[in-house]
Amino acid sequence: MDPISTTSVAPSGMLLAGSVVALASSLWLLLPKSSDTVTSRRIGVLLGGVALAGFAATGRSLGCVGEDGVFLTVAAVAVVSGLATIVTRSPVYAAIWFAMTLAGVSGVLLVLGAQFLGVATIVVYAGAILVMFLFVLMLAQPSGMASYDRVSNEPMLAAAAGAVLLGLLTLSIGRLSAAEPAACCRMPSRADALAGATTADPITIEAGAPGGADEVNEVARLGAELFGRHLFAVEVAGVLLLVALVGGIAVVSRGEATEADHRREV
Amino acid sequence: MIPATLLTNALLVGAILFCLGLVGILTRRNLIVMFLSAELMLQGVSVTLVAWSRYHGDWGGQVLVVFVLTVAACEAAVALVLVLQAFARTGRLDAAAWQSLREDNLPRVIDRELPAGDGVAPTWPRLSPAGIRPESDASQSLERDHL
Repeated sequence: MDPISTTSVAPSGMLLAGSVVALASSLWLLLPKSSDTVTSRRIGVLLGGVALAGFAATGRSLGCVGEDGVFLTVAAVAVVSGLATIVTRSPVYAAIWFAMTLAGVSGVLLVLGAQFLGVATIVVYAGAILVMFLFVLMLAQPSGMASYDRVSNEPMLAAAAGAVLLGLLTLSIGRLSAAEPAACCRMPSRADALAGATTADPITIEAGAPGGADEVNEVARLGAELFGRHLFAVEVAGVLLLVALVGGIAVVSRGEATEADHRREV
Repeated sequence: MIPATLLTNALLVGAILFCLGLVGILTRRNLIVMFLSAELMLQGVSVTLVAWSRYHGDWGGQVLVVFVLTVAACEAAVALVLVLQAFARTGRLDAAAWQSLREDNLPRVIDRELPAGDGVAPTWPRLSPAGIRPESDASQSLERDHL
């Protein structure tokens, strides 16, 4: 544990406050408003970069941010695309930026070692859900850019609320990393207990700890856990998918059915 | 087991994505962009769950993210159907088109005081007693002790 993180609380507090203010003003400048100019949006982009760098520096001074280059790259892709998703005017471009965010998040999950979820995020979100969004946009987009895409609701209040919430979360994550040695002392005993359990009890072999010695069987172990301990939840999720399918079809076909009934009555 | 800096890194990324989604859903007026913002919040939560799951050496977080994916797919399907129906009625994707609960050609009704009841105390249904308490699983209690 880095001892600097506990001693340098005061300057990191200033840095954090500065980052919160920069993020709030950047979001306010970037969100769609009636008084937008090219200059204000450029200043917003600049302030956004400053704010993100400020949050990274705050995390570093609090002992949160490591030096994993791959992680920092994919995290930057996810965060910047997420920002672009909510500030871009055109909903189609918002959907495309969201796809970029998904790519970044998938990279983060892969770096964290969740291989199945990284792939599933791309396949399910970017492959299915996002395409559905784009289909609806193609069906429902009026020609030209609508007024409700150019003016947003209360951008100043919402930007301030989001930036303050992020500042509080960063502080609590910093506290977490300051209190982390205790957790580190506890973790090996837990791993030992699990290792003892896996040799003793054949049932818990399937539910071994992720990231253990057997990294190769990662996906198989997630599957064993999912279809072992959480089998009932999987069944419920299947029912939920079926209900959503039937509900979607019912809502869509209701209008057409009544029209057909009306014609028959006439 | 992952190092603690990777955990806090991932928690920061999750927090940033969650807050961006929050700002988006509060400010944007296009129904579809609002849904995209909600999905952005879900992504932030997923990153947080996976990071904790890896840190604690427990599969629960990753299993939960699988269910988050499932529910997000269902939610998107039903919600987009409703958005299409709403667009067919108003010709707009504006959330503000649905903020009034009455039709445009009806008068406003404002309740200035509580409507008087009929003076009869309501009777509420009572739940019947449940069955016996299930026995705890020894293999599960081993894991819960350490959380």
